Amino acid sequence: METRFDAAVIGGGVVGCAIARELTKYKLKTGLFEKECDVAVGTSGRNSGVSHAGFYVPAGTFKAKLNIVGHELMPSLCKELGVPYIAVGKIVTAKEEDEREYLYKLKETGEKNGCKKLRIIDQKEIKRLEPNINGIEALHSPTTAILDPFLLTISLAENALRNGACIHLNTEVKRIEQSSDGFTLETNNGKYAAGILINSAGLYADKIAAMAGITGYEIHPCRGEYHLLDKNKRNLINGAVYPVPPKELGGLGIHLTPTTDGNIMLGPSAEYIPEPDDTANTSEVMDKLFKESYEFLPKITRKDIIKSFSGIRPKLITPGSKSPADFIIEESRKIPGFINLIGIESPGLTGAPAIAKKVAEMISKIRGGLVENPSFDPTEKPKIRFAELSNREKSELIKKDPDYGIVVCRCQSVTKKEVIDALNNPLCARSIYSVSKRCRATLGRCQGGFCLPKIIENLEEQHHPQTSDINYAGKGSELFTGKKEGIE
Amino acid sequence: MPNKKYVCIICPNSCEIDVEYSGKNITKISGQTCKKGEEYTRKEFTSPERGLTTSVPVHGGTIPLVSVKTSKTIPKELIKDAMAEISAARMNAPVKIGDPAIKNILGTGVDIVATKNVPKK
Amino acid sequence: MIRKTVDVAVVGGGPAGLSAALSAKKNGAANVLIIERGENLGGILNQCIHEGFGLESFGVALSGPEYMQRFIDDVEKHRIPYMLDSMVLEVSADKKIIVSSKEGLFEITSKSIILCMGCRERTRGQILTPGTRPAGVYTAGAAQNFINLKGYRIGEKAVILGSGDIGLIMARRLTLEGSKVLAVAEILPYSSGLPRNMAQCLDDYGIPLYLSHTVTEIHGKKRVEAVTLAQVDERFKPIAGTEKKIECDTLLLSVGLVPENELTRKAGILIDEQTAGAVVDEDLQTSIPGIFACGNVLHVHDVVDYVSLEAERAGRSAAEYAQGKEKKPQTIKTTPGEGIRYVLPHQLSADSDVKLSMRVMAPARNVKLILSDGDRVIKTLMKTRVNPAEMIQVTLKKNELAGCKKIIVMLQNAK
Repeated sequence: METRFDAAVIGGGVVGCAIARELTKYKLKTGLFEKECDVAVGTSGRNSGVSHAGFYVPAGTFKAKLNIVGHELMPSLCKELGVPYIAVGKIVTAKEEDEREYLYKLKETGEKNGCKKLRIIDQKEIKRLEPNINGIEALHSPTTAILDPFLLTISLAENALRNGACIHLNTEVKRIEQSSDGFTLETNNGKYAAGILINSAGLYADKIAAMAGITGYEIHPCRGEYHLLDKNKRNLINGAVYPVPPKELGGLGIHLTPTTDGNIMLGPSAEYIPEPDDTANTSEVMDKLFKESYEFLPKITRKDIIKSFSGIRPKLITPGSKSPADFIIEESRKIPGFINLIGIESPGLTGAPAIAKKVAEMISKIRGGLVENPSFDPTEKPKIRFAELSNREKSELIKKDPDYGIVVCRCQSVTKKEVIDALNNPLCARSIYSVSKRCRATLGRCQGGFCLPKIIENLEEQHHPQTSDINYAGKGSELFTGKKEGIE
Repeated sequence: MPNKKYVCIICPNSCEIDVEYSGKNITKISGQTCKKGEEYTRKEFTSPERGLTTSVPVHGGTIPLVSVKTSKTIPKELIKDAMAEISAARMNAPVKIGDPAIKNILGTGVDIVATKNVPKK
Repeated sequence: MIRKTVDVAVVGGGPAGLSAALSAKKNGAANVLIIERGENLGGILNQCIHEGFGLESFGVALSGPEYMQRFIDDVEKHRIPYMLDSMVLEVSADKKIIVSSKEGLFEITSKSIILCMGCRERTRGQILTPGTRPAGVYTAGAAQNFINLKGYRIGEKAVILGSGDIGLIMARRLTLEGSKVLAVAEILPYSSGLPRNMAQCLDDYGIPLYLSHTVTEIHGKKRVEAVTLAQVDERFKPIAGTEKKIECDTLLLSVGLVPENELTRKAGILIDEQTAGAVVDEDLQTSIPGIFACGNVLHVHDVVDYVSLEAERAGRSAAEYAQGKEKKPQTIKTTPGEGIRYVLPHQLSADSDVKLSMRVMAPARNVKLILSDGDRVIKTLMKTRVNPAEMIQVTLKKNELAGCKKIIVMLQNAK
């Protein structure tokens, strides 16, 4: 007999992981399937990492409601899970006269949606908040926050696991069949049964729906490229700095966002692409991103860029569309017990905690109520960040465990203990990607040039992998093609 | 007179050396700035030689590999065969700089020697 | 926190650090301490197993580890203490150093400090190479570590971007270990490595070098599957129509080195944006009295012997400072003129002979290197060949400096 789940989530993005974790608050046997080597490998980790206040989304939509509720839930959720969350605030800046009007519209929408503390500020106030930014007028949202989207997703998954959910990584759902009491899933790692299925497959949500026989959804991948700046430029801005968005419905416009790790991100662009996994960077967009950001912030140079990357939005609208699409979160009418989450693009990260609650309500309705899990523990220990501690705290830590004294990643001051903890993560994700997203090693200005050999040394010590099992982000991304014979 | 150009590899100066020759004999050498450069060029003209550096697994050491080199240059055309022979060599810790990993490689009279100290684990 | 007081603290135990520490000791500093982040002394030379080091210092061609061992033996002989696996987290202007190690967190107060942190490699991110982000893209130095210290095969078919010396050395190394190096691409119209490395690493193995070429795209979702090479114009922009896609599983980057001056910047030391190293005077003292810099953290060198020699000077200066020796005012400013990228040191006294280090902007033949004080030519040197890959050193005598306010170095066509 295959393992049977009361509810199974397909997709280990922030939404899928938030749902899995939410369901562990109840007596429900919960499973999660992710085809990649770890959670947060797709769109969830490739975005601006912002908890949006909720003034972009049209009033009265599902998006607006979930955004506002999600943004309200986010600080306490991050606190419970030990995820960095900083309310740095944000300004949307008008540079031209004809852009002013847009700020007032945004404010009006925001207030209709229930955003708090929005205000229009003048040039002088812009300078006070952001001395390096030019603008004639701006919308200031002090509650807008930055968070670490990787850690949020990872901690949600790890917390779900701690509370009894089964998280299956490297497990791709290949077939879905209806059975007398739910569904049978065929994966590359065997068969599973589930009473309720939650399709949270992001860019692949249309394909997963089609597997169950639900047609009519079509996801249009829309790529956004980013540049990441060296930490020594972090002090150029205080909070997030956004332009008035372009007329086309691609995104919010190229903006400057600080990360909780102390970098600045420039981006994203918006470009519809045929493949949902084509996260390449292109020379045209890389150039455009820099030029547009430079107009905002003339104190940056190309030399400050340490990395470029891209993420892909799962859009329900096509390039020509005149209005944005709302999130689709519904139980299939055709197939009861099959819950679709389609087109969860921005503000999906912000909305995730609210979406999770919404899905739990839907499941409660389907099952005629849910029984609370009395042993649910909502907390995760915050990951220790040696670099951010005071000398006294550092000193105490090294006394407790000398591995805290050995700095492995020089650029980010990540210690051996932090690397070992990341290597021994409860999800058993063993790729370099998984280590770096948990402890931040390799993500600094040398991009792993110095610490990658050290991380692999630690990986060998901890888990004794075969050479062919050492990979960057799952099967196919092997770092080495062999090892010299005769090495101990 | 036919001529050939060489870049001397003896030191970072990388002198460009011109050789005029007839048949197998050098008639004129110019461009070198030291005696070693001239020696190198004469050798390079008749039978080029190279030093070879690589590494050999070491058993029971604090590190898994010990770097090695040819104790003297060997004919350039033997480099590939030398690498093949070295790939079978193993050393045991402790290793001291100069310890041989292979003696008289390929009958050249040249040894493969350690270039690193490797203490016992 | 564990507190310690020393006379001279040396940050870094690589070629510069060991030479500086030895020199400080030999010049009378009683209490010298080397702080090294790696698990061995020797720094990057531990993985530079090729030969070619030591010709200047010892008159023989040594491999990197052999060269370093001579210094390590000397450090042991002079009983200079060193900390391993010890990372300097902070250097402050009042010469306190915070060090993290498994023994604990140290606060080391030093009379003088010598910065010898070396340099790091530029990465794919910094040169803005478009394309996907698969496994199989390595900096040449990281690849060197994996191959020479761990015995890993990093790939079977490689393209190397950049013709810096490490890239050339790795082209040969990969070939010897049985991988195929399909091409070396260099964006400049000339190689950025030493000509002897072109000869013995590429020509010997028939590896093609494409000058004025760069990688315009990396292909492959999980592991590198191919790269696109294209020719570039004189402004380094790819020329449409010249692209060729090369199937490979590895891209090695040898696209330049950057001095690791994060500690230096945080200490508030003045940086020369051209060298990306500290502004120094002829004692190799930085803008903070008592803090000195030498080796690749000051400016990227071509040959390690010159690092060791420069570090000797810094060691001596640091020892003198620690002993309270009075310092000569350094009022003569040096400036790179036409054709010169940088000149070091930035300030001179006219009190002793001084060795200037410099690099040219572009390769040239039959040129005059002219040192003047703006009005008067102090020295002219004929050069049959100059190359940005090679550091040029010129010694100015005390008497040649007399009465100068500044020194301008420039390059002129000899004809």
